Amino acid sequence: MLQKLYSSRFTPERNYQIAKWTFFVIALLLIAFAYVDVGTISIGSNNYNLSLIRLNKAIAYTIAILGLQVVIGYTGQIALGQSFFFGTGAYISAWLIADHSWPFLLTLLIVIPSCFLIGMILGLPALRIRGLYLALLTFGLAAVFPSIVKLDKLYGYTGGAGGKLTSNYKFIAPSWLPFDEVAQALQKIPLLGDFFGDGPLSTREESRLWKFILFSLLAGLCFWLVHNLIRSRPGRAMRAIRDNETSAAVSGVNLALTKTLSFGVASALGGIGGAIYVAEIGIASPDDFSSLVAIYLIVGLVVGGVGTLPGAVIGGLIYALVPDWASSTQSIAFVPERWLQGPTGSLILGVLLIVLTLFLPGGIVMGWRKFKTKLLGKELSTAR
Amino acid sequence: MDLFLQRVFDAITNGSTYALIAVAMVLIFKATTLINFAQGEQAILGAFAVLQLWYWGIPMWGAVIIGMLFSAVLAAGLERVFIRKFDPADHLPLVIITLGLFLVINAIAAIVWRFDPQSFPQLFPSGNAFTYNNVRLTWYSIFAFGSCVLVLVVFQTLLTKTKIGLAFRAVSSNLESSRLSGIKIGPTLQFGWALAAAAGTLGASIYAANPVLQIEPSMMLRALIFSVSAAALGGLDSLWGALIGGLTIGFVQSVVVQYIPFIPNEMSLSAAVVVLLIVLTLRPSGVLGTKAVERV
Amino acid sequence: MTTPLLRVERLEARYGPVRVLHGIALNVYEKEIVVVLGANGAGKTTVLRSISGMVETSGLIEIGGESIKKLNPSEIVRRGVAHVPQGRGTFPELTVEENLKVGAFIRNDKDINNDIETCYESYPVLYERKTQAAGSLSGGEQQMLAVSRALMSRPKLLLMDEPSLGLAPQIVEDLFARFVTMNQNQGTTMLIVEQNAQLALDIAGRAYVLESGEITLEGQAEELAKDDAIRRAYLGA
Ligand SMILES: Nc1ncnc2c1ncn2[C@@H]1O[C@H](COP(=O)(O)OP(=O)(O)OP(=O)(O)O)[C@@H](O)[C@H]1O
Ligand SMILES: [Mg+2]
Repeated sequence: MLQKLYSSRFTPERNYQIAKWTFFVIALLLIAFAYVDVGTISIGSNNYNLSLIRLNKAIAYTIAILGLQVVIGYTGQIALGQSFFFGTGAYISAWLIADHSWPFLLTLLIVIPSCFLIGMILGLPALRIRGLYLALLTFGLAAVFPSIVKLDKLYGYTGGAGGKLTSNYKFIAPSWLPFDEVAQALQKIPLLGDFFGDGPLSTREESRLWKFILFSLLAGLCFWLVHNLIRSRPGRAMRAIRDNETSAAVSGVNLALTKTLSFGVASALGGIGGAIYVAEIGIASPDDFSSLVAIYLIVGLVVGGVGTLPGAVIGGLIYALVPDWASSTQSIAFVPERWLQGPTGSLILGVLLIVLTLFLPGGIVMGWRKFKTKLLGKELSTAR
Repeated sequence: MDLFLQRVFDAITNGSTYALIAVAMVLIFKATTLINFAQGEQAILGAFAVLQLWYWGIPMWGAVIIGMLFSAVLAAGLERVFIRKFDPADHLPLVIITLGLFLVINAIAAIVWRFDPQSFPQLFPSGNAFTYNNVRLTWYSIFAFGSCVLVLVVFQTLLTKTKIGLAFRAVSSNLESSRLSGIKIGPTLQFGWALAAAAGTLGASIYAANPVLQIEPSMMLRALIFSVSAAALGGLDSLWGALIGGLTIGFVQSVVVQYIPFIPNEMSLSAAVVVLLIVLTLRPSGVLGTKAVERV
Repeated sequence: MTTPLLRVERLEARYGPVRVLHGIALNVYEKEIVVVLGANGAGKTTVLRSISGMVETSGLIEIGGESIKKLNPSEIVRRGVAHVPQGRGTFPELTVEENLKVGAFIRNDKDINNDIETCYESYPVLYERKTQAAGSLSGGEQQMLAVSRALMSRPKLLLMDEPSLGLAPQIVEDLFARFVTMNQNQGTTMLIVEQNAQLALDIAGRAYVLESGEITLEGQAEELAKDDAIRRAYLGA
């Protein structure tokens, strides 16, 4: 009896999972401590920003892309307007922080339900509008967002074209967290210690670190919820709709409910992403939520891998890093400088989008999985 | 009243240019039920090519015609390389590819011609054709509308009177029977892409030649939304529907938005999206579109 | 015997992972009318689509002794095979006359207009409706149009997929009578897929019976019409 219980709780599979995740969390923390004081690295005459600011932005994008995974990847609805909800979440959070002095986490309690509701309401037409029409409409939504927040009528809430400043709000790490101790312990590691800077952390560094940990936890929570959602009954209904809407309806899936739910969840995730984004950069400004952002989020989705959860992480990183590094690249041998001053990031993302769709439709994650099964093909099939 | 008339004239001016891009989208949608999100960018690239040719000393209208040819050839190439290998019924990859083309073309235009607005040479005689009190009808408006109608007439003729036009309409109507009649589907759709791009380039050139506007790489983003609404209003599959849709959107933009006090001016883009929303929700086949004739 | 106009051997066809034809052999000789009988889902349509190059196949398909296996549909049409697909053989948004012109798409000769006239002579309804959208025709008229459209390519071999589908018995009889006339006057070779066994066996020279992707019976049409199994399965006797 005991034997049975024991073996079912600690199968090799499960041990492997636990080890994997522990390793992942430790790696994340190491990265955080290593980069908390690093600004940039230089290659040639170009400086590349590697700081936690980038990673925090990546987390924001990751969560928004996770929303796209739900609606596009798992429900098969071509909704392109994620920047609309990213912006909505950002502005609601900014307004509460700046004008009502709410703490960041508390604003999420408003951001999540309101984005969920707005997403569901805007998703209602989608019950009639399908495929490309939906793509059109959602793209239109994304395109109008900046002009909505610039409205004179909303100036009091949104700050108009100038945006809403939230940088007065500081993230203060709880004092019980042993940041300094950990940092100093890491600095003592022979050889590698240098990577972790010198001496105790400054308040700014602590705050940055705290933000990163907080955002990572939030992201982890979102992933866990989505992971469970897509394995639940509504999640199966979503996938049934994606695979074949007609046969899903025939086999008793409630199309209207499932689709609106999926839109709601996606929008709420977009809103959380937006709130994190604003918390990181300290201002919500209209042009940070243009339709170009909507397209970049789609790039993240596709490059990471449509319909895969880890794909959202890869997508978020790519969105946060590629355009920034591309514009930091001011000189490459043999390439005219003039070219590098243009929107090279956008060019690279566009090329990535096309190349992956043509040659690796499952994105990087699927590509990696295929590669892995090819490599370990036999072992994997015997393990199962 | 004067003001109203003036707004109507403005509506016709803007509406005509939206209609040209809308026609381009309609051509592609009709044949493949694909919405090309890169249509506006292809058009702006074509307009920049026109500008470049003009800088090189080619007379303006010659430059426009060469620019249209250039974008037609380019579009044919894009179709062949990026579009043809996908199953037309599987929308997601196609939407993604056209979004990718959007990014790439937009970036290339900005890298080559920079972000700063440049003035575009006049295509039409300047000045007013007609003034009455405060109402002005510019030559530009007349010619913009005239070119739009002319393009539609030319396209209509191409589609009804030529063999490839017939093939194109056959493919739009019944893919399987087209194949069985010996029509080569790929090249026929390629023809549609080329035609669409040529229309788009003309539209963008006329748009940029508006004396009150300048050409810049992101110019088409707004126009794309207006054009998409126009196309949807016209049913996405009707050439003349695109014109009427374009005029309606132009009208909504300049007349309705000006006269309803609680809709501020910047909302014209939103108004277009609202029109899109209403049309797609209430009548997905558009106001003027043909309901699919299906007998199985 | 002479080489058949159409020769099919060991034909297998699949849709994705599902194989629906399991090694079919059939021949159609010049000036013949051959029918293929079979229940719903037997694979009749798939046989015709294979010949036209619309599905992936393995095996052998020859027209006049030359393999057409590697050709795509538009090239196969140019080899003289015309195909009236099941149900929807017309272009609903195009006018009747345009439908006929599309049928002549592969031709460049001067006789196209003559052929259109000939077609109007045999189907005066089509002449009356020539500027109307084909989608507005009745089912029977559409079927006539679909057949005429196919004939406009001046085919050596005409493939027809259930031409009687959805038509009133009267109209079917009339249509089939025209097939016979066409066959006798112009010598058009036809391969017809049908469920209406009675009429089909009447006009055909030879017939095949297709069941779940395999040919289970073949022979002279008259003899098959007498066959007990056929009578039970298809003639309701
Ligand atoms: N496009 C397709 N994809 C997958 N399976 C198909 C497809 N078309 C046909 N099939 C399958 O192939 C088999 C044969 O179909 P086919 O259309 O050839 O039958 P048929 O004899 O023409 O039937 P009917 O008399 O109903 O027209 C059927 O089981 C059908 O489900
Ligand atoms: Mg059939």
